[in-house]
Amino acid sequence: MSSEVVLEALDLGHAYAPGRYAVRHLSLELHRGEVLGLLGRNGAGKTTTVRMFTTLLPPTEGTARILGMDIRTGGRALRARLGVVLQAESLDFVTVERNLTLYGFLWGVPREVAKSRAEEMIELFELEGARHRKPWALSGGERRRFQVARELMHDMEILFLDEPTVGLDAIARRRILAYLRGRSRDGLSMVFTTHILHEADLLCDRIAVMHQGRLRALASPGELKHRYAGAREVSMSFRQPLPTALHLELARALADRGASSPTVDPDPAGAGSSVRFRVEHAEELLPWLTRWVQLQGLELSRLSVEEATLEGAFLGLIGDLPDSGGESPGPRATEVRA
Amino acid sequence: MTIPPVLRLVVRNFASNLDPLTVLIRFGQPAITIIVLGTMFSTIISSGATGGGSYTAFLVPGMVAFQMITGGVVSGNLFWLDRRWAMTEQIFSGPFRRSEYLGGLVLTTLLFALVGVGVMILAGLPFIGIPALSPLAIGTVLFTVALGSIFFAGLLIALGSRLRSANAYFTIQSFLQLFVIFLSTVYYPITSSTPKLLAVIFYGNPLTYAADTIRDAFTGTLGLGDLVGLGVLGGLAAVAFGAAAWGFRDLDLGPIQ
Repeated sequence: MSSEVVLEALDLGHAYAPGRYAVRHLSLELHRGEVLGLLGRNGAGKTTTVRMFTTLLPPTEGTARILGMDIRTGGRALRARLGVVLQAESLDFVTVERNLTLYGFLWGVPREVAKSRAEEMIELFELEGARHRKPWALSGGERRRFQVARELMHDMEILFLDEPTVGLDAIARRRILAYLRGRSRDGLSMVFTTHILHEADLLCDRIAVMHQGRLRALASPGELKHRYAGAREVSMSFRQPLPTALHLELARALADRGASSPTVDPDPAGAGSSVRFRVEHAEELLPWLTRWVQLQGLELSRLSVEEATLEGAFLGLIGDLPDSGGESPGPRATEVRA
Repeated sequence: MTIPPVLRLVVRNFASNLDPLTVLIRFGQPAITIIVLGTMFSTIISSGATGGGSYTAFLVPGMVAFQMITGGVVSGNLFWLDRRWAMTEQIFSGPFRRSEYLGGLVLTTLLFALVGVGVMILAGLPFIGIPALSPLAIGTVLFTVALGSIFFAGLLIALGSRLRSANAYFTIQSFLQLFVIFLSTVYYPITSSTPKLLAVIFYGNPLTYAADTIRDAFTGTLGLGDLVGLGVLGGLAAVAFGAAAWGFRDLDLGPIQ
């Protein structure tokens, strides 16, 4: 990922009717080769944002420049450098193979290049069996794979993907994400919306979390998890039983450091004890904890920290916010640079 | 060599949306009308009622004029299907202007109508022979069909840009097609014994002007009345095309049924 900014939005917004904002005060940047995830509940404003960036929908406020061009005036010259996989199924009524070459033709890709690229896409997206079928004869997953494949028929500098993996099985999803990751390493920037948080975690360099049209957070997946994933369970097993005095001391020390609900049980796997508690930012506690264990002359047989997930961070960030009732007056985005 | 965007769109329109069966039906239906209706009615309608020639000779120019509807319906349906299957949105997010997409539709209409004109003349050949058309008459026929096609294409595209239901669009389209054909001079002339109300309705129908002008071109009797007819058709085509272009300005690209 380079430091070159290819997309810059400043206070961007769109109101479908006076006062009815789908997106408001959106400010963010995208760098060359970066994959930016847009996450949010249904109706959070992700698709409206993509449609504004791809010039399908004019913003009603704010500005955005993409590849140095204003999205209001960039028009065809701008769109010629973008790729868009729409959320809606967009299909032409010819075979998959013909669809691919025809789309290449539409974008002005030379015939021979289009033919070889179509072959590459058919193989990459496992469409060999669907090659001679028309779109209505494809399964939902095949159609989605086809739609992503078709968009990759032409050259572009920024690719917008609006829920590209809906309906795909895990293997197909992984394959597509790996391919996209490779393309981003080659310098292709991407804006990617999804409801599958795990894939956002795998693919995205940074994630923008939107809620009711506003940006709530913009950070790397790691930072989001660190800041918003909430309390996670830490469990540790000692080789020896933990005396009551030490147990009380540990409970007090953990409570002082923000841990909650420490419990001590006999270790089911042996003669020792096991301790469990929940704490935010568990990684920050671990150095102290291992030192304390050593100081007490205890021996650990196991130490595990529940993995922080993006889903946990997402829920921690917007899980408690109301999902309707118009524009919320919530805070501006918190940006954390990784 | 880079092919201009409008032409790329026209190629795509033909390649992706016009399956052989549709093409066969679109051209076959009026061709069969010439053959069957022309043959059957020629045996029961006197030549005096149709201006001196056979009924088939009367019908062929009418069916040539009818190609403006065929062409218009083709691009109206193309546009509707593009909207329905989100291809309008996909194309608008690509290296095309909306005006180029509209231009592509109009050009597709014109090409389709032009082929239709040829097919109708071919279908009429065994009955009326090669029509003796002067260069002016050929130009008038093509220009008339072109204006009429733009009118119908514009009308249906404007309609398609506003409606969100396929059911509504295709019902209105069929209704328009049926009544525009029957309330015109494609199948029968307006005579002194035509009921006044019907005559008024006929003259409110652009297909009447197209059919009359093309018929006059076929019989070598083009006159001032045809110029007026072309003027009316041109005006209506401009209004319909304007409505279609207006519909594109704030086209709702959201999902439709």
